[in-house]
Amino acid sequence: MGNTEKYRGKTGISEALLTAPSFFWLASFFVVPSVLIFAISFKISNSSGGIGDIWTLETWSGLLRTDYLAILWRTVWVSAAITAICLLLGIPVGYWIARQRPGVRYWYLLLVIVPLWTNFLIRIFAWKIVLHPDGFLRSALVYSGIISPDTFLLNNIGSVIAVSVYTYLPFAILPIYAAAEKFNFGLIEAAADLGASRFKAFASIFLPGIKRGILTAVLIVMIPSLGSYAVPDLVGGIDGEMLGNKIAQRVTANRNLPEASALAAMLTLIITLPIIFLIAGKGGKILLNARRAGGDK
Amino acid sequence: MGKKLKKMAVVFAAALAAAISGGCGPSVPKLNVYMWSDYIDPDIVQKFEDENGCEVVISIFDSNESMYAKLKAGGTGYDVILPSSYMAKVMNDEKMIETLDLSKLPNVKNINSEYMKKLALDKTFKYSVPYMICYSCVAYDKGKCPNLPDTWGVFGDSKYRGRMTLLNDYRETIGAALKANGYSLNTRDDSELEKAKETLLKWKPNLARLDNEGYKSGVQSGEFVVVHGYSGDLYQVLEESKNLAVMIPKEGVSLSCDDWVIPADSKNKDLAYAFINYMCDPESAAANMEVTKYLSPVDGASKLMSDENAKSVVIPKAVYENGEMIIDLGEDNAKYLKIWDEIKISQ
Amino acid sequence: MKSRYTSLFMTVAVAVFMYLPIAVLITQSFNASKFGGSWKGFSLRWYEALFNDSSVIDAAVNTLIIAAAATVFSTVIGTCAAWALHKYKTSLQNVHYLLVYAPLVMPDILMGIGLLLLFVSMSVNLGLATVILAHITFCVSFVTFTVLARLQDFDFALIQAAQDLGAGSFRIFFKIILPLLLPGIAAGALMAFTLSMDDFVVTFFVGGPGSTTLPVKVYGMMKHGTPAVINALSVVFMALTLTVAVVGQILTHKKPKQEKLQWGKN
Repeated sequence: MGNTEKYRGKTGISEALLTAPSFFWLASFFVVPSVLIFAISFKISNSSGGIGDIWTLETWSGLLRTDYLAILWRTVWVSAAITAICLLLGIPVGYWIARQRPGVRYWYLLLVIVPLWTNFLIRIFAWKIVLHPDGFLRSALVYSGIISPDTFLLNNIGSVIAVSVYTYLPFAILPIYAAAEKFNFGLIEAAADLGASRFKAFASIFLPGIKRGILTAVLIVMIPSLGSYAVPDLVGGIDGEMLGNKIAQRVTANRNLPEASALAAMLTLIITLPIIFLIAGKGGKILLNARRAGGDK
Repeated sequence: MGKKLKKMAVVFAAALAAAISGGCGPSVPKLNVYMWSDYIDPDIVQKFEDENGCEVVISIFDSNESMYAKLKAGGTGYDVILPSSYMAKVMNDEKMIETLDLSKLPNVKNINSEYMKKLALDKTFKYSVPYMICYSCVAYDKGKCPNLPDTWGVFGDSKYRGRMTLLNDYRETIGAALKANGYSLNTRDDSELEKAKETLLKWKPNLARLDNEGYKSGVQSGEFVVVHGYSGDLYQVLEESKNLAVMIPKEGVSLSCDDWVIPADSKNKDLAYAFINYMCDPESAAANMEVTKYLSPVDGASKLMSDENAKSVVIPKAVYENGEMIIDLGEDNAKYLKIWDEIKISQ
Repeated sequence: MKSRYTSLFMTVAVAVFMYLPIAVLITQSFNASKFGGSWKGFSLRWYEALFNDSSVIDAAVNTLIIAAAATVFSTVIGTCAAWALHKYKTSLQNVHYLLVYAPLVMPDILMGIGLLLLFVSMSVNLGLATVILAHITFCVSFVTFTVLARLQDFDFALIQAAQDLGAGSFRIFFKIILPLLLPGIAAGALMAFTLSMDDFVVTFFVGGPGSTTLPVKVYGMMKHGTPAVINALSVVFMALTLTVAVVGQILTHKKPKQEKLQWGKN
């Protein structure tokens, strides 16, 4: 990509100008509070929620005392399932919207997001009616033999995944659409003319063509769902607790902010370490390339 | 495009200006109240505003614990807060709230003396004034659960498997299990707590979930047939659905009370006193009871209510006799929380 | 044509999935029942209650002001960030990338408390302003990643060509870059608006007296009382949104359509 060379002289200033707003914003309103919070994980709290003065590793070693592994595992696989389903549904929808006439695309985009402009809790209560034990959906499923009469659709991991997919799906569709909107669909036709099957053309040309859209969808569905707590709290069953619920419980009922911070720090490390490792090590280039995927051809 | 952006900017600037000027409009004194939602008669608030030439701004919290976490982290700006008794005591111990000047609260003489003597945690109005008393109990579907016995033991009955809920609150639910075993729900005894844990583990497979928010619509719709919840809210549901009934376990239930307190950093203390005093007036108390279906400890208020509502707010004698107020256990809360974690994790 | 039918089928299925609960919600808004557990007859009482309950209207206005402000600022900041991340290959941008990525990882409740600690330590009064600052903070990452998705295969030759033809940077920005990025910016802005409208936890912690938003109010209503009135509010709001969209569509439709710019082909 030789033409970027030309700007090198100006690069310093314009790079600084473009980077400064987000950099300083996040440094002041994200990094500073996060440091404050994570510092607390090296303190201990008393029974009334007061934070002690002494620096200690007590809270961190205390993490070993509770069995978090089962919760962590459930959190990870549930989030992965949510993300996979969101992609499976989001990619065809993004593709379809991108193929519509330019004028009406924004319409469809709006229709994708408008259901989320009702209130979160209200939507969840609507879902409870849809999945109700005596409701139409369950009756139909039982009648047609798809589920056994003693299966419930609510208050289990299944309902947590279904309602989470509902909550995050628009967030998967939006970036996929944004990437697909500029995709040259003629390429798929051309591949078909050359004898490739439709599906193959879709998988080998369209998907790589929007890979950054897909990456973004994965990031903004998977990562927040790892820390989510409202959906499992409201439609999860007796065994549906996720890490987010535990963190919230530590802050409120336990009045133990240090342990909540330590838990969150652990989650952050698990999610972020691979990325830091990539940047610091030789992988830096790989990441850089992934970041500007396709941009340097 | 440029035009559209400009238009948007203008609209936005106007909205922001409106918001900011709304924030510091004409200098009517403001009383910032921090309390539960739907827990006061708006007409009474209006009357207080008119009589005192002030504006009452009500902010909402949804649990004692999150409200406390927020204040503990430094959240400020409130003049009157309405925590439950056990939390009011913690806030007092932490010196977060004002020691009350009773000369500014003449109406506390209306508060039922029997309640103060027997149940109140703050028996001398040192830092709090009671507002509404509530107890936890069970609501059930009469058609689907005929002849439900009046005991906590129903949660051990696998007949209703997957259709019952207990509160998602460690003190309430472990408390229910303690009561089922005949112990105090404020016990600090390890072996008693161990017994309660075993009971809860037996109950767990029968429960659909631990629920704080959905049990009201859930029991009404038939998603759940037996739910553990708070009296006033359940009586509001009963008012609509005649197929439901309330069961008060004979082993005893938890009682709690929400109390008015004044945070130490309140900037409007005189108005805060006036507000609390106003709520202790029988007329306001009656109006608030009509709305919330909880019982106010203000003497003479029930007489001013409609007969039907007066009946539903009355707390049955048995509840007083076997019931206990939840008390914050300080260091020993940890024992309960450990059990709570174990119950949630167990398969 | 098969994949087009597959995608049409999936889209219809997703539409049913997305709108099924909305249909329930609309029905519920006419249910006389306070708790909505069973049908207690057709009634307009919640619409009446909505227009008589100033606390709900106040909360709705707060929610919209916060969402609008958070959307505008986070979209501008996020778009700049995405442009910088895509264009420059410096180590500064590696750090920048991490910085934008990290807020996604932070659980809401700790972000809320962290910001609260920050505001308290600077003795800022809690209120609408602090809520807006907090919302901008968590929206920026979402906008950035969405615009970044749009930038894949972006051809800088286009800009250079314009420069060679003597266009100034302002012209280049408004005439070339902005229209090309618009679908990404629009998607990011929609996302920011939605996130802000629905946030409960962060708002609960950084809000102060008088900054109650709808989610805070509704969580409270779930615990004590009833949120039935919010069904009616949601219906009114969706109807308004769609009306504005239809009117906007009709108004913009009058203008002749510009030829769509094609770019990024290899």
